[in-house]
Amino acid sequence: MILFKNVSKEYPKTGYALRDVSFHLRRGEFVFVTGPSGAGKTTLVKLVTMEERPSAGTVRVSGFSSDRIKRREIPYLRRRLGVVFQDFRLLKNRTARENVAFSMEVIGTPREQIGLAVPRTLAAVGLASKADHLPAELSGGEQQRVAIARALVNEPFVLLADEPTGNLDERVSKDILRVCKDINLRGMAVLFVTHNRTLLDDYVGARVIELDRGALVSDTGAGDS
Amino acid sequence: MRYTPREAFFAFRRAPLLSALSVVTIAFALYTLAVFGLVWLNIERVLDDVAQRVEVIVFLEDGTDPAESATLMSELATYPEVDSIAYVSKDDALARARGDLSEYRELYEDLEVNPLPASIEIELKPGFRRSAQVNEIAARVERFPFVEEVKYGEEWVSKLNFLQDMSLFLGLVVGGIFAAVAFVAIGATINLVLIAREDEFAIMKMVGATPGFIAQPFILEGFVKGVVGAILALVLLTATFSALEQRVLALGFYTPAQIVTGVALGGVLGAVGSILSLRRHLYGGTA
Ligand SMILES: Nc1ncnc2c1ncn2[C@@H]1O[C@H](COP(=O)(O)OP(=O)(O)OP(=O)(O)O)[C@@H](O)[C@H]1O
Ligand SMILES: [Mg+2]
Repeated sequence: MILFKNVSKEYPKTGYALRDVSFHLRRGEFVFVTGPSGAGKTTLVKLVTMEERPSAGTVRVSGFSSDRIKRREIPYLRRRLGVVFQDFRLLKNRTARENVAFSMEVIGTPREQIGLAVPRTLAAVGLASKADHLPAELSGGEQQRVAIARALVNEPFVLLADEPTGNLDERVSKDILRVCKDINLRGMAVLFVTHNRTLLDDYVGARVIELDRGALVSDTGAGDS
Repeated sequence: MRYTPREAFFAFRRAPLLSALSVVTIAFALYTLAVFGLVWLNIERVLDDVAQRVEVIVFLEDGTDPAESATLMSELATYPEVDSIAYVSKDDALARARGDLSEYRELYEDLEVNPLPASIEIELKPGFRRSAQVNEIAARVERFPFVEEVKYGEEWVSKLNFLQDMSLFLGLVVGGIFAAVAFVAIGATINLVLIAREDEFAIMKMVGATPGFIAQPFILEGFVKGVVGAILALVLLTATFSALEQRVLALGFYTPAQIVTGVALGGVLGAVGSILSLRRHLYGGTA
């Protein structure tokens, strides 16, 4: 679970990127985070990965707290998170399979386990047939699927997707969102950041957190937490 | 293959030009250092040879009781700085003079009495041949009543000492500068390699690799490059040396132990250079 308790983030030069934000993402939940450019969406994601620390308030992520976490514990927090970005961030000189395997290798996963998990995860995002392609040989949507597979392969409890469809056209964007929804159906929480509200139209009733200039202006799923 | 060695090896295949550049840089840096070291070693060797000739000669009064000179010799034998002692009797001295000064042979041929004194020649251990130390021994020996005179070439010993000090000072300062330049050059090429792989670091941090794990293949890569560079430097050095040896005779080369140390040093430099650069790349930004 992810818990934001009265979280503010002030950057030295630009001032407040988030102001008094509170919300609770429960186990297995799906949430959209929307808001115009500069609203603080990426900052919110960075607070979850603890790439940034709050200026006030507390961020709790799966047993780790921003108040107490030590620098050397951060890698272990990150292993519980899957992150994808607008710009894919794949390694250019490695195939889809190698890109996915890479994120297991660098945390010391045994080879046999990598050999089993990588093809299974690529199949889950619909890329089994392109496993041996380099990123340059894949479309944008396919590259984002590789990135999602890489985020999923270590079995995190939540997928954090920061504007994953920002570089993709409408149709492919919907495919990617579909992939994320499918993942959620299998029990993984998803925090899906997008400023493209038309994407939300197909998911009436989904939880939406809306940010504007650093403030949380609405949260359709805010319950007792 | 395990992750760390495979990634380190992979780096050479993936960026052959950059890898070759850093190996060559390391090789030249170490080569320059090694050439300087060799020149210095040879200067030291010459000075050591000269220093070996430092000896103290104790001339004894005529008619000294052999028992007394034996006492002196056994006392000398207990001094830690003494390497060897030789007794030269009056007859020995005369025989030597006849041999050495053959043009004056007739002069010694028909002598009634032997004018040469008996003496004790003291050779000192390396490390005890500085003029202050020699002086000290001479002073101790001079206190014996039957000692006529003690000679040891005070003048040239202190000149030699000056040359030795200069050589050591220059060796340390210039050698230190060469070593620093080598280190900076090696660090710079390793840094280039790391810059080329910034995106990998970002992904590794994102998926939760620990800094230690991220560092391993780069440290191994730096070590291997250092060793390969050192071997290349050694090949160059051997070629230079044998070309020189044909013109200048009797130059000293590094001992096998020094060569092994040098190659290991190359590896350590490569690894340490990697670690220092890595610290910037791994801890430079936000965690
Ligand atoms: N590292 C930083 N240093 C200083 N200011 C920053 C930093 N990162 C973000 N900001 C500022 O914080 C505010 C929120 O930025 P953030 O990236 O969170 O917005 P966003 O909602 O993700 O926008 P977009 O939709 O354009 O990605 C902006 O005004 C931005 O200038
Ligand atoms: Mg953003």
